[in-house]
Amino acid sequence: MQKLDRRELLGGVVAGAAVGLTTATARETASDKLPPWRAIDTNVSLFHWPFRRLPLDETGLLVQKLKSHAMEQAWAGSFEGLLHLDLAGVNSRLASACREQGDGLLIPFGSVNPTVPDWEEDLRRCHEEHKMPGIRLHPNYHGYSLDDPRFERLMRLAAKREIVVQLATTMEDGRTQHRMLQVADVDLTPLPDLVKRVPGTRLVVLNHKGTGPEFMQLLKIPGVYFDMSRVNATDGVARIIRTLPTGRIVFGTHAPFLIYESAMIKVEESNLTEDETTSILHRNATRLISRDAS
Amino acid sequence: MTARRPFGLPTADELSQYNIWDSYFLPLQGPDDRRFANDMARSIPTIDKAAIKRLCVFLHVGLGTADRATETRLRGDPAAILAPLKKWPDRLLGMMRLNPMDVRGSLDALNRWMRDGPMVGVYFASSKQASLPCNHRNFDPLVKRIDELGGVIIQHTWFKTGGKDSAGESTPSELAELAKRFPDIRFVCAHAGGEWEKGIRAIRACPNILAETSGFDATAGFIEMAVRELGADRVVFGSHLPSRSLGTELSKVLSADISRADRMKIFGGNLRQLLDPILSRKN
Repeated sequence: MQKLDRRELLGGVVAGAAVGLTTATARETASDKLPPWRAIDTNVSLFHWPFRRLPLDETGLLVQKLKSHAMEQAWAGSFEGLLHLDLAGVNSRLASACREQGDGLLIPFGSVNPTVPDWEEDLRRCHEEHKMPGIRLHPNYHGYSLDDPRFERLMRLAAKREIVVQLATTMEDGRTQHRMLQVADVDLTPLPDLVKRVPGTRLVVLNHKGTGPEFMQLLKIPGVYFDMSRVNATDGVARIIRTLPTGRIVFGTHAPFLIYESAMIKVEESNLTEDETTSILHRNATRLISRDAS
Repeated sequence: MTARRPFGLPTADELSQYNIWDSYFLPLQGPDDRRFANDMARSIPTIDKAAIKRLCVFLHVGLGTADRATETRLRGDPAAILAPLKKWPDRLLGMMRLNPMDVRGSLDALNRWMRDGPMVGVYFASSKQASLPCNHRNFDPLVKRIDELGGVIIQHTWFKTGGKDSAGESTPSELAELAKRFPDIRFVCAHAGGEWEKGIRAIRACPNILAETSGFDATAGFIEMAVRELGADRVVFGSHLPSRSLGTELSKVLSADISRADRMKIFGGNLRQLLDPILSRKN
């Protein structure tokens, strides 16, 4: 091979040529001239991750990102919901931020912790006062397992209110967690039986890797969905879409913790059919939130 | 997909302009050809979609770094070691896996596969049976010999909450110890330590260590911190295909808030510079 010179190192780039989609400098790219896909992001969070600042942890910046990718909606939880105990305040701030800064894109999903006193009032406020279509649960950060009777009661109340429940199995790789706050992934083993006992459940499992026996078992149960933000391997998304019942995988980015485009590229690299792409990007989420989730 | 905007990706032309070279490609050899062929078949559509032009592949060379069945095959049929490089000569660059627990065997293997063969570098992985923390003195003669041959050195590293997976796993801090013993030799810190906030700090004071980008979730802010603390000249892209996705790995560099010039370095310029001596020698 010839010694590489500067011209080769630059890859033959012509000055002024199109740039990547996502740099801070928003210049027009060739791909901007193409029509975008319709998409609903079912998994974003507002406010500050407890352990580091993130590039998009200001709501306005996240909304700009959503707009830049022509997202129709983003279902937003709150990082404050992980560790705060005043969840009424957390949910009020979330609802305000979505209303005031979301430009109609952000759909709030409040946090409910069934281990704190009077959590039923938090659920009521999410649904009746803030008009949230769903809630987001963090059983591992809140310290309960899925065979806890309080969790079943919460699921029953949510089903009665006909709201969507999002359950985050993890927020980050356990290998990278702060050593003073190590949180195991949620054990989903009790979930299949519980969902069968609670008719009307509409559940989205967030941040799961899409592998393992409990994953396969849960996808057989109507009303259970998974987001694909942490599904890995280059053919991972295609594999789960094509080997499991149709319509159960929804698009989610887990932004701003994860890089926004990560989940998008996973869809793009999966070489899905147009129908599969439409299904994952918005049809499944639309059906889920419109109460036609079976 | 049809004539829609690529979902999350620039167009093929725009990607091609980045001239991407991959420092960390992970199809696996097995007891026969099928495993590697299957991993290549899974990877090639993605490689082409991302316009990745060359990929450093990590090959077992019969030093006890693979499972028993694969070792038996490679020792019995050494031609199988080079078969991937012969089958995909325009894509793959061979990086041989050494065993620091077997210094004599590793030195012999360097002569056979790098001095007299096509390998352009070395990968020190983490495994229970064939690895040592890279600050171990066994690394010294190997590093010297690799440097004499002009090869690139890539070292697996992780800082894992809860501790190492095995006693032989290396951390970025241990790589920094090794790198300080050889200040004129450059090392690639694979996975930037996984927990990159600590990994970047561990190697920051060693200008001869470059951080590799793959092997952990697409956590936002990584590349920005790496460029801020190390400089763009000390970061190299890895895809970790096929066991990780393009979405996870490409987005780290593609979406980072850095200059286009820095992105070009990370996507390939730095790796080409590392490989230049040995590629020039091997013509």
